[in-house]
Amino acid sequence: MKRDLIYQFILLIIIACVAFVIITATQTNLERLGVVSSIDFLWKRAGFEIGQTLIAYDANATIARAFIVALLNTLLLAFVSIICASILGLVIGISRLSSNWLVSRLATAYVEVFRNIPSLLQIFFWYFVVLRSLPRSQDSYSLFDIFYLNNRGFYFPAPIIENGVFWIAISLILGITASFLFNSWAKKYQYKTGLAIPDFAISLLIAICVPMLILMLVGVAWEFPQLGRFSYKGGFVFMPEFISLVVGLSMYNATYISEIVRSSFKSVSWGQTEAAMSLGLSRQMVLRLIIFPQALRTMIPPLTTVYLNLFKSTSLAAAIAYPEIISVFVGTVNNLVGQPVIIMTLTLLVYTFVSLVIAMFLHWYNRRIAFMTGN
Amino acid sequence: MRDQIPNSGNRLWGWVHKNLFSSPLNTCLTLLSLAIIYALLVPAFNWLIVEAQWLGSTPQDCPDKSAACWPFIWARFDQFMYGLYPQAERWRINLGVGLGVLLTLPIFFPNFPRKAFVLIFLIVIVYPLIGMILFLGGQFGLAHVETSQWGGFFLTIVTAVFVLSTSLPLAVLLALGRQSSIPLIRIVSATWIELWRSVPALVVLFVAIIMFPLFMPAGWEIDKLLRALIALTILMSTYLAEAIRGALLSIPKEQYEAANALGLGYWQRTFLVVLPQAIPIALPQITSTFIGLFKETTILIIIGLFDLLGMVQIAATDPTWLSQGVSATAYLFVALFFWTSCFCLSRYSAYLERKISVSQFHQS
Repeated sequence: MKRDLIYQFILLIIIACVAFVIITATQTNLERLGVVSSIDFLWKRAGFEIGQTLIAYDANATIARAFIVALLNTLLLAFVSIICASILGLVIGISRLSSNWLVSRLATAYVEVFRNIPSLLQIFFWYFVVLRSLPRSQDSYSLFDIFYLNNRGFYFPAPIIENGVFWIAISLILGITASFLFNSWAKKYQYKTGLAIPDFAISLLIAICVPMLILMLVGVAWEFPQLGRFSYKGGFVFMPEFISLVVGLSMYNATYISEIVRSSFKSVSWGQTEAAMSLGLSRQMVLRLIIFPQALRTMIPPLTTVYLNLFKSTSLAAAIAYPEIISVFVGTVNNLVGQPVIIMTLTLLVYTFVSLVIAMFLHWYNRRIAFMTGN
Repeated sequence: MRDQIPNSGNRLWGWVHKNLFSSPLNTCLTLLSLAIIYALLVPAFNWLIVEAQWLGSTPQDCPDKSAACWPFIWARFDQFMYGLYPQAERWRINLGVGLGVLLTLPIFFPNFPRKAFVLIFLIVIVYPLIGMILFLGGQFGLAHVETSQWGGFFLTIVTAVFVLSTSLPLAVLLALGRQSSIPLIRIVSATWIELWRSVPALVVLFVAIIMFPLFMPAGWEIDKLLRALIALTILMSTYLAEAIRGALLSIPKEQYEAANALGLGYWQRTFLVVLPQAIPIALPQITSTFIGLFKETTILIIIGLFDLLGMVQIAATDPTWLSQGVSATAYLFVALFFWTSCFCLSRYSAYLERKISVSQFHQS
């Protein structure tokens, strides 16, 4: 035990020495460069435009606001990619287990091809080859003259609501609460009477319709994209950078998700299927009520890793200048104000924090479904 | 039963019926798959084979701007392989890479004596030294070659091998540290691992590029490539540490107790009893982490180092060649390279995994 103490003491001294050398060196270097580290620059005028903004922003806004815009862009990219990758991964994973020879082979080929090609290369391919070869604004592809796809991006109508953020938030909260309430009522009803209500479909309907209704009552005007002189104006646009990132990241990560889906479906024993079928459940009900909930439990821990990796690889967006944290903050802002220490620290903190939140959320969800035995 | 194959009729039809057309849903799925295959393969075949230009080496050989253009690859092949390494010195790269391949040969001989030990010794200590002298030059009469001239396939390989050989020992130390009975060592290793694991590789690279020069006392300077390599080493060692920790946890407690009973100290127990069992168990995981790193090297382009993808990216924007067909062909070339390497490595990893599960089965 005495030796343990000595080891700890030595380690402490080493850490202290390294920290001391680094801190003093950084201080002298910064002094030499004439940089005074302070976070005051966050409240200065930004002075640059950002291509995609989820909240109001222009060049006169503060750098702090630019940071939030970039962070929101990162989160939007991560969120959309995670959803797309999960759906695609689920489809591919189930296809690999299909009894149809051709379907399972096709899914296997997909996984083997896309897993072994670097995701950055895939993003480059979608961005520089596929999306560049889309038509110009004048002859863009359109669907019902509402949606437009051209080499400037994907355009679709945007709702215009007075006090928009407030009403959208309220309606979303109400809608989700209503669907939760209905869900728990349906469960209770089924326990009492044994009659099953298609609760999933109805609660999804509630979650979508209630906000729609509220927004309709408040009064929504739709702004449609219109062809201007050079490009479409109005409505909302997904930049080509965003589209190629979503496609590239979800196709790459879907291969990992499909492997997880496949192995967790296989881990549910065949006896479960046999038992359920002998109870007279249909094939679909067996899949939805018996196999999927059990497979989900083994799925969540490895899925956490994939989701975290996907979140981290949104940083690849910097390679094609999609305005997310790295390209806006570490790139543009750092060149503007020259505060590397604070900017890198903030960036590290943001990524660590969001990773932690994702990990904690999935951990909580895992605990919740793991204990869902019996009642 | 509906699925039963009728005994009459030949076996091929029976197989087709059972696997492709056993029910209406199955038939639909089969037709859908056939449609997908048709929709993908026919244009791909046309683009790659029928319309493609295979011969020649000048932009004039590719009149069709949208078709595959292989002359571009032939014309720039040397640049893709060696980057901007001086023409006259390229034999050094060939020699070095050839030597590296020779050194990994023992992997393929299952009965090579003391294989793991010899391999680790060669890969971690001998090869990096030889490589440094050969590639960097400046000694033994070899001309000095700046790292800014390194690039292409060569840079990809150097990065992968350097990072693997430096991060393995670090990873073992970190994994042992995280298992340590001494609280401070455990906490420091765990924090270090978790911090770097939650941050994107790109951020770590930027930290290295932007911050390392600030950390250095005045007058010290680290080469840009070396900074990137250090960053990747930090990352890789934390990933590998987790792989090795998993293997350490799978070693039965009796092994530790037996080693203690023999009177072995901590280091003897670790290096003679625990690690020789843990490393083979961790090997599949190590291989797949290495595959991840290998694919990750492509992000070097973002910080301005030109690996294979970077070189191709620069070459494809050359105005004399610039066209859709050229960039698509260029990406296809890189994709083929990465796909082949990663596919072989993942097969090797799967083989190792099978071997381990068989040997564990025999033990129990």
